[in-house]
Amino acid sequence: MKMYDCVPGLEFDESLDFQISPAWFLDGTHSVPPWTPMFGWFWINFCRHGMQYGAEKLSLPTVKGWDWRFKDGGAYLALLFVKTPEERKAREERFREAIKPFIDDFTGMWNGFRDELLAMYEPIKTIDLDKATSTEQLETFEKIIAACRRMWEIHMYLMYGTYTAFVLFENMTRQMFGFDDTHRDFHALTSGFDNKSFQIDKELLELAKKAKAMGLDEVFHLNAAGEMRKALQTAASGPSFLKEFDAFMADEAGWRLERMAEINVPTWAEDPTPAFNMIKMSLEKGINYNLDEERKKRELERAETEKRLMEKVPPEQRGWFKMILGVAQNSAKFSEEHNHYCELMCHSLIRRTLLGMGRRWVASGAIDSVDDMFFLFPDEVRKGGINPDMFNFRPIVDRRKAAWKGWVERGNPPAFMAEGFTLEDAMKGLVESMDPIALKVVVGSMPVARPELKADLFGVCGSPGVAEGMVKVVWTEAELSKIEKGDILVAPTTSPSWTPVFNILGGVIVDRGASLSHAAIVGREFGIPVVMNTFTGTSVLKDGMKVRVDANMGSIFILNK
Amino acid sequence: MDVKEIYWLDELSKEYNDMVGKKCANLGELTNIGLRVPHGFALSVKAYEHFMEATGLKDKVRQIVEDATAKGLNVEQDVGKMIEVSAQIRGAMETTPMPPDLAAAISRYYAELQQKVSIKDVACAVRSSGAVSMPGQMETYLNVAGQDGIVDHVKKVWASAFTTRAIAFRIQQNMPVSWAPIGVAVIMMIEAYSAGVIMTVLPNVGDTDRAIVEGNFGLGESVVSGEVTPDSFVVHKGEMTIESRSVGEKTKMVVYDTVGTRLEEIPADMRNKSCLEDQQILEIVRVAKNVENHFGVPQDMEWVVDKRFTFPENIFWVQARGAKYAKKEAKQDEKYVIDLMLQLFRK
Repeated sequence: MKMYDCVPGLEFDESLDFQISPAWFLDGTHSVPPWTPMFGWFWINFCRHGMQYGAEKLSLPTVKGWDWRFKDGGAYLALLFVKTPEERKAREERFREAIKPFIDDFTGMWNGFRDELLAMYEPIKTIDLDKATSTEQLETFEKIIAACRRMWEIHMYLMYGTYTAFVLFENMTRQMFGFDDTHRDFHALTSGFDNKSFQIDKELLELAKKAKAMGLDEVFHLNAAGEMRKALQTAASGPSFLKEFDAFMADEAGWRLERMAEINVPTWAEDPTPAFNMIKMSLEKGINYNLDEERKKRELERAETEKRLMEKVPPEQRGWFKMILGVAQNSAKFSEEHNHYCELMCHSLIRRTLLGMGRRWVASGAIDSVDDMFFLFPDEVRKGGINPDMFNFRPIVDRRKAAWKGWVERGNPPAFMAEGFTLEDAMKGLVESMDPIALKVVVGSMPVARPELKADLFGVCGSPGVAEGMVKVVWTEAELSKIEKGDILVAPTTSPSWTPVFNILGGVIVDRGASLSHAAIVGREFGIPVVMNTFTGTSVLKDGMKVRVDANMGSIFILNK
Repeated sequence: MDVKEIYWLDELSKEYNDMVGKKCANLGELTNIGLRVPHGFALSVKAYEHFMEATGLKDKVRQIVEDATAKGLNVEQDVGKMIEVSAQIRGAMETTPMPPDLAAAISRYYAELQQKVSIKDVACAVRSSGAVSMPGQMETYLNVAGQDGIVDHVKKVWASAFTTRAIAFRIQQNMPVSWAPIGVAVIMMIEAYSAGVIMTVLPNVGDTDRAIVEGNFGLGESVVSGEVTPDSFVVHKGEMTIESRSVGEKTKMVVYDTVGTRLEEIPADMRNKSCLEDQQILEIVRVAKNVENHFGVPQDMEWVVDKRFTFPENIFWVQARGAKYAKKEAKQDEKYVIDLMLQLFRK
């Protein structure tokens, strides 16, 4: 049987792809653990498209976005550099005009795009897939493909624009005040803004308070999160609590995916166990973080820091300095909020659509389980779309699933390098590109080993501070419940739905990340140390170890060896 | 910080203000950002202390002042007495020989200065350099040459802190009268072929893409004071092309006199000539752009071309400060922010 590539045309091929770039980096922030073929298809095709679209629309002088390849569930990326000085110059001229909207009215622009996305999502979100004909199902699938493509265009256009300003601002603070984006003042200036994700966290904590007021903390305490709905249905004020809870899930929080960049895990709307778990944890562990009060404090601190630093800026420079600050603040805001409207909503809709089709396909005998849909790619979905009863996809699914299990077991190498090309060469190229997304999100900076510290593990500071605590290695959201107050979370990377747990953590260590990735932004928001890019944290550190995290020095010490 | 008695200008920076005075500290600051300033050295207040203490002048001057003020001294009425006190002190200071070690040190620096500029007995300006400026109260001596002359005039500058006016000023300001430490700058005289200013922004329209260079023959005062219509050149900072030039008839220029400066007729055959060559204009713009990048704001700077040296060693800088210009407020800021973003990509 002929097996087609998972992402036709964009599977990694040494013989051709080293001609494009001598180094291909694994996107460790998103594609670890390895992706299912269907998700890989969406991401590789459209994230790639979005970056090239965004770089082109902004006419970035040095890069034309990134090229992406799929290899065993891993996403590998290479920068597309602008080759000649003449072309750079021409792009610079266009950039002058293209960047203006980001300075003039970013919020207005983002609101416009957000509404455009919501309008595209609406029919996909509201169609009853079980009542729809197969043709209508397939049409919905085509719509989510188009929506995902557009989502990435908007996402990357806005991200390139705002992060350029962010990198510039960091450059300015380094020159003018001598600090970079890991410094407390820098965080004070760029954090403490309200956004959609925080609003959802807030409501979740509000629900916990309500549960307590309704005398339900006992119920939450005695029952496992998975059994909570049943338990609440029989409790005194349980049903009225559930009514509010369900309304909240249907409205906003239901979009949350435990893993932002995958579709093979349930959304909160499908399975609210993680939400119940968060409420249970906040009741048991006394998470009573008052986000409103905290935000007010942050706003005050931000205003004070701004005032203090502004006094050091010569009066004639204040106008443009404030302008850069404003755009940099927008990028921090956008960085945390876009996940909700871009990835989380779009990916849950891909999942919703495929599950709807999957139920029909199982009933028609095309596949055995709804999840099998994630082991196909869109052309195969089209093949069986209108008449799933006429096709048998089991042989394809079985082989792909077996391959995928192998990818997950083996894991993927951090980079593919042409012969004679070193990691140092490759990093140098990345840094010289000044590609703001490469610098700030996906690749980050490489840890500098400082032998004199005799630390057990090195990384890069994502949020400053020092903390000691017990290691809790967490791979999936379900494992978050083992976290106790003051623990050090060790994970490959963190996801927006993990945010509430940050307020009982002592510190965070992630395998991959940069200063604008989730763990760093949220860590700074909560004022706890975060060390990133340790690469091997999840394999070196084990539950039960006591560690000292010195984020300022980017080092981790195991205290009970 | 351990204070030396003598510094080369390029050892200095703003932090040395109290030790060597403002003038020297400012010139030192310019060298720190890579500008060629007229070669020279600075005597700190420590040299003054050395002179006054080793020679016994410290006590002597105090005695003179105490005697004179014992019965009270009214600045406005006892003018005759003030003149006498001033003459006594200055006479004592000027006639007392420099302590041999200090004289040797000054001579050593002067000898090295001659080597640096490859001019024997190079003529210098010997100027006072106070920590706070007291304009016109202390002397400046121009065209001082030879090691004895330099040593002699350093003393004269120190003594000039005891002019009648300076003493009266200190009495009125309730400052110590008998102890007046000041820095002294010994700087080679520029033989100005031409001089002028550059602004790295077009001040009237706030265009930060362009710089304007203005100059005339002779010293820069004629340009700064607006006495003549100078030559002016507009240069595109990115392209480094001279976009427009205006070279008119220049009738007068400022030159050094025995004391101070004077206006002089420009010879007829030079009047309509450009005071700068193109390569000089571009070099002036290049250096000013670096300074602008260093400080992050458009600059207003003063340059001099010395006729004795060859390009580009003949271009000297005597002043740099943030430019005042009409800003097209927000739009201008936006343009500047975009400029900065583009610079980021050019790294």
